[in-house]
Amino acid sequence: MALNLTVNGEHKTLEIDPDTPLLWVIRDELGLKGTKFGCGAGLCGACTVHLEGQPVRSCSTPVEMASGKSITTIEGLGSPGRLHPLQKAWIEHGVPQCGYCQSGQIMSAAHLLDYNPTPARDEIVAAMSGNLCRCGTYSRIIAAVESVVADTDVTVSGQKGA
Amino acid sequence: MTMNRRDFLKVTGASSGSLVLALSLAGCAGVRAGYEEEEGSWRPDAWLELTTDNNVYFTLARVEMGQGTYTGLTTLVAEELEVEPASITPKFAPVAPEYRNPLYKLQLTGGSTSLATSWEPLRQAGAHAREMLILAAAKVWGVDHRECTAMDGQVRHPNGVDALAYGKLVQLASGEVVRHEVALKPPSQWRYIGRDRGRLDAEAKSTGTAEYGIDVELPDMVYAVVTRPPRHGGRVQSFNGADIEGMPGVLDVLEIERGVAIVASKYWQARKAQQQLKVEWDNTDALDLSTDDVFAHYHRAADEDAGERERNDGSFTGAAESAERVVEASYEQPYLAHATLEPMNATAWYRGNTMEVWAPTQAPDLGRIAAARVSDLSPSDVTINTTFLGGGFGRRLTQDYIEEAAAVAYRVKQPVKVIWSREEDTRHDLFRPAMLHRMKASVSGNQVTGWHHQVVGPQILDWYVRNAAPAQYPWSPKFLYDTLGRVGLMAEGIATPKDMSAIEGAVDYPYEVANVEIRHTHTDPGVPITWWRSVGYSHNGFAAETFMDELAHETGNDPYDFRRGLLKDQPRHLAVLDRVAAIADWRAGAPAGRARGLALFQSFGTYVAQVIEASIENGEIRIHRVWCAVDCGQVVNPAIVRDQIEGGIIFGLTAALHGEITLENGAVQQSNFHDYALMRNYELPSVEVDVVDSTEPPTGVGEPGVPPVLPALGNALFALTGKRQRTLPLKSAAG
Repeated sequence: MALNLTVNGEHKTLEIDPDTPLLWVIRDELGLKGTKFGCGAGLCGACTVHLEGQPVRSCSTPVEMASGKSITTIEGLGSPGRLHPLQKAWIEHGVPQCGYCQSGQIMSAAHLLDYNPTPARDEIVAAMSGNLCRCGTYSRIIAAVESVVADTDVTVSGQKGA
Repeated sequence: MTMNRRDFLKVTGASSGSLVLALSLAGCAGVRAGYEEEEGSWRPDAWLELTTDNNVYFTLARVEMGQGTYTGLTTLVAEELEVEPASITPKFAPVAPEYRNPLYKLQLTGGSTSLATSWEPLRQAGAHAREMLILAAAKVWGVDHRECTAMDGQVRHPNGVDALAYGKLVQLASGEVVRHEVALKPPSQWRYIGRDRGRLDAEAKSTGTAEYGIDVELPDMVYAVVTRPPRHGGRVQSFNGADIEGMPGVLDVLEIERGVAIVASKYWQARKAQQQLKVEWDNTDALDLSTDDVFAHYHRAADEDAGERERNDGSFTGAAESAERVVEASYEQPYLAHATLEPMNATAWYRGNTMEVWAPTQAPDLGRIAAARVSDLSPSDVTINTTFLGGGFGRRLTQDYIEEAAAVAYRVKQPVKVIWSREEDTRHDLFRPAMLHRMKASVSGNQVTGWHHQVVGPQILDWYVRNAAPAQYPWSPKFLYDTLGRVGLMAEGIATPKDMSAIEGAVDYPYEVANVEIRHTHTDPGVPITWWRSVGYSHNGFAAETFMDELAHETGNDPYDFRRGLLKDQPRHLAVLDRVAAIADWRAGAPAGRARGLALFQSFGTYVAQVIEASIENGEIRIHRVWCAVDCGQVVNPAIVRDQIEGGIIFGLTAALHGEITLENGAVQQSNFHDYALMRNYELPSVEVDVVDSTEPPTGVGEPGVPPVLPALGNALFALTGKRQRTLPLKSAAG
């Protein structure tokens, strides 16, 4: 079955079994390996991508549900040389250890800031609790998100003052 | 042990104009019991290559699984070479005897040893290369080399104006011979060591560009999944292969030693086909026990066999006879899974007379043995490419996943990637062994006069030696592999290190008690086991430090004062204990409704003391704060030390709150993160890590954060509820 997807702004037409999880389409058909397989059951968040701006667990989203829709992966969020503010913060705060969960963590954080640019700490913790990290980088994750929020605060108040 | 620079540094000659330095990370740290260093041949462990275009390549012999070798070891080289660490390109090492871990005679990463074994030699290598470049520059300028300095990838002329970039000097430098001692930089001149600097792999890991094993992509690659026996030791009797072969995308269905493999063009096709696979298992030799049987077996073994005496100070028996009373307790600790977030996977490509493997592995030379076993190749025909590891924690020391990929690749003769599902990863893990600890202490008045610790359970080497022994002798014919495995076990403590996995942390009981007896009843119920972050220290820490808390209570002492009074000759233990008591303000105690617990434990040469403050809210254990004092000797990267210790704390809290693998009739009952839960962000306490300033040689930090967590939390819950918890995981409703 032919499916149309828009991935990181690019239109793709694929011949693929419609119940294939979006994750394996992104990774193996489109070659975008930044999105990770962790549990296959929507429990760990390593496979988080944005579907029409909403975070989804791509490991348990059949690709047909994404048909005709737009998807953003970690590669679409930013890349070396063109980093998203969250990616910059992740690097500055030295968040990753093994790093395997971090694409999913960053995608969850990016969605949080998209709809709530100035979340309180407990809102950040709540938003990030769906993503597991076996290395235990949680406090660095919170600090990195908070640093981006703080920068946003400065910008917002700066604009207000102007 | 002191080392002569000439013993481990060698210029291996220039290739394509580069300066190539080889160095040998000969073991500086001691190994226990009769383990002789290999005599004779000089073997470099790592290479440093400086090119004419100013690139520096550093071959990293220890893998990067989150613990920070990629940054830490590179920093050591950079410091002495006088280049920015980020300007060095680390490369993961291929399999070669040169890259073996000197402590194990195997090319493996584990035991929190990487930095400790690299500390001197990597700095020496960097310094040596720097000196060669300086000698070359001095010749060019016709000046005294002692007047030249190196900085930021350049040698500077004594006139303070001229400078030559390393790239311009490498060809000349490769002919230089350093005949004098090269002094390492004094700590006051360090620019990178001891500074809070970023991780060199942070950008790749924040942009999805770091390549893990699961990300390897090869031309015409196919995918395989393996159905394994639900009960360990089961064998394939028959399966409905004909039904599977016609399914969409399926290319092959084959029996391998470890189960039935389905090969398909796409991963999901293999998974869908697997749902239709029906295997009849021959369970003649399969595991048939349940968790309760394991502990019943341990108790029986403990009754029947007092075990090997591993330490004996004074006479515990005598102390017990003359004591007012003997306090006893036993602790049961469960099997634990590793749950690396990247599931087991490997990619293999058999090309007739060679095989190439790509895998996230902690032991590439054992991977080579595993691949050779299931093909017609010798280990030397097998190339292992190591990627970034999405977590290791000891799991990837065992090469079963490479064995599977190699077995399938041998049949299909095209690149094949085997990926385990999370359920498979949990059920077919090799676990941190379940253990029983029987503790006794003789007490008179408020004094402890004797300590007796009987550790009951298996040893890990029994499970590991199958591939480890042949890996030490990779030239041996394959029909000897099993013999080597058996010999390896017999030679334990003579030709190989003594297996301390069951007793480590028990035998080094640090407190000043006159009569100490530590025993190990070696018994193995047959459940697959392996190393798990902090290994034996993880269960011995819980037993010893919980029992210490029981004794403090029994003798009417404060847990801090009680330990403090028994550490007069243990300055490093005492220092971290005092420090954690100070930062936690132990004397002030916990706010109403909460309680605090304390634990102190040394592992891998690193001293860690922790205070945990907890409560029970709405029937759930809630951890509010963790204070931690650490002495790991000289700190190379303070941020990585704090992260590793904090990561260890969370790893330990995960085990304390959630960790339990259970068996029913030989089958593992857990499967995914809903029934083998990991701690989540909202459960996170506030963690404060205080690192002692030290000039002692650096020791590992990947594992030592784990052991004290479990007893510290258990002790806090006792302080809160008055009920002692002697089994893990801890329960909110104890008793």
